[in-house]
Amino acid sequence: MLLTTSVGSLPKPEYLATARSQARKGEVDAKALRALEEQATREWIQTQEQLGVDILVDGEQYRGDMVAYFAEHLGGFQTSELVRSYGNRYYRKPIIAGRITRPRPITVEWWRFAQQLTTRPVKGMLTGPYTIMDWSFNEHYPSRRAATLAIAKVIREEAKDLERAGAQYIQVDEPAISTRPEEMELAIEALGLVTRGLKAKTITHICYGDFHTIGPKLRRLPVDQIDLEFANRDFELLEFFKGKRFPKEIGLGVVDVHSHQVEPTDEVVANLKRALKVFKPEQIYVDPDCGLKTRSPQEAIEKLKVVVEAARTVREQLLN
Amino acid sequence: MITTAVGNYPKVAEGGYGTKLIGALTKWQKQEVTDAQLEATFQDITAAVIREQEEAGLDLLTDGQIRWEDLVTPIAKRLEGFEINGLERWFNNNVYYRRPVLQRAPKRTGPILIEEYRFAGRCAKKPVKAVLPGPYTFVRMSEDRHYKAQRPFALKMAEILNAEAVDLARAGAPFIQFDEPALTAPKPDVKLALEALAIAAKGVKAKTAVYTYFGSLNGALEPLLRAKVDVIGLDVVSAPALLARLKRSKITKELAIGCLDARNTKLEPVSAVRTIIRAMAKQIPADRLYVNPNCGLEFLPHTQALAKVQRLVEAARAERT
Repeated sequence: MLLTTSVGSLPKPEYLATARSQARKGEVDAKALRALEEQATREWIQTQEQLGVDILVDGEQYRGDMVAYFAEHLGGFQTSELVRSYGNRYYRKPIIAGRITRPRPITVEWWRFAQQLTTRPVKGMLTGPYTIMDWSFNEHYPSRRAATLAIAKVIREEAKDLERAGAQYIQVDEPAISTRPEEMELAIEALGLVTRGLKAKTITHICYGDFHTIGPKLRRLPVDQIDLEFANRDFELLEFFKGKRFPKEIGLGVVDVHSHQVEPTDEVVANLKRALKVFKPEQIYVDPDCGLKTRSPQEAIEKLKVVVEAARTVREQLLN
Repeated sequence: MITTAVGNYPKVAEGGYGTKLIGALTKWQKQEVTDAQLEATFQDITAAVIREQEEAGLDLLTDGQIRWEDLVTPIAKRLEGFEINGLERWFNNNVYYRRPVLQRAPKRTGPILIEEYRFAGRCAKKPVKAVLPGPYTFVRMSEDRHYKAQRPFALKMAEILNAEAVDLARAGAPFIQFDEPALTAPKPDVKLALEALAIAAKGVKAKTAVYTYFGSLNGALEPLLRAKVDVIGLDVVSAPALLARLKRSKITKELAIGCLDARNTKLEPVSAVRTIIRAMAKQIPADRLYVNPNCGLEFLPHTQALAKVQRLVEAARAERT
């Protein structure tokens, strides 16, 4: 009970961040970059083991943006010129320009690489079809629905391949799911196409936005576990679950990934105990709110350490 | 029939006026370039964007809102009473803005956009419109720690925006537009939005407009068509059902119809744009019709944004003859 994990991305060490920007300018070749990505993955697996995390991630050292990464490896996508995301931040938004195909597995080789480094389970990490659609331009499919379902088909193939390779946990992230309440049913349908019949434990991480709109539909998401950010809204989300028997496992984000400040362990312990009044101990997985890639490696390690220590403390108190 | 843009325009253009604004802002944040140097870059890009709209053949231009990070913070930053908070999603787009937080009664201490407007006007050979957030959208996108009630906040913002609009008209703006995308968001307070809009537009010696975009208007269409402004902007791309509903509506105002999708790179055939224009022409005389993309063009990469403007102009020209 109270198994610890993380949401997906971990920060890239300085040497890798530098190499990635050099690779974009053609100053570092693909093979050299790959070696550094492997080195960083190895280090993160080792770090997570040392910290005592129960369910590991590969840290996505070889990915940039969570949608662009899949778009780059799927057939049918092109890349746009720069568009602005906010402030002075720009990115290249994928364009669905043709029929979406998956020429070959995308994440399986990296998953294998990470899994053979450890005896603890490593999660397979995918981006969900609704999010890939919502964060891309669509020039090919006649509707948002048609595009979403076409993406679901290839993400399904990827999930099956991860399962075949041995993944016991497969996480399909849908941070865009709360963007348009009127499309929630489409997102649920598409996620269902991905997870249907999988024997691996399925998880989705969502950023809840307007929680009152999507909250009531959470129980219908076709996954075993729903991972939510509790810390950055001061655990007010617990109110929503109070008095209801939530039929799924819950991934409980207990440290804020947007703040540099590392939460004191006893604060996280206290919040975990609040959560235990609402959820059963075996229902709860403990993790940071979201991917840690925007923190420095040191901050990420310290935040993960607090997650593990707090979970361990509460676990021991429950057993005694 | 007048072709126009809605508001913002891509701030960078890899195939056009370049990406120097990104570097200039980064360096300005690190205090490696001065305010004056940054201002010069803003002016360069603004001039380029105006030139581009003119060359494409638009009749009524905007300054591209090159200085604007979003629709609300450039105003909030220049008023007393606001702090700027963390990132929030901009309606149903994968784009973010910083939420203004009202800490005490808001106050306008002087003109906000007049200098920018004058500069744009000097660059352009064709008329340039001024764009402001509508009072209701401003309130919906802000956090209110002062009034703790929507109505007094909205009415106060309406007064402030009215003062700005009056000054913009005095500075020569022939057309002043209030953007109210919040009317397409869930559960809008339409009555309050229109009450505030009437205050914002009152006594403004220019043509006034309200623009809505991003989604369907639900029950808001009929009251919106009676708003106390001259021009009503409707996004019939995000909400195609509006076209049919307009057929059953009494139209006494001028209309501005968003007939190309400024949120998707897929280029509409000119014939599709002409079909929408023709459908509108059956309901309203051409001299009471504006045509434009459905919202600001900044969601698009520059190449597609420009291509959409060109197609709009081509469709309008074909329908005029």
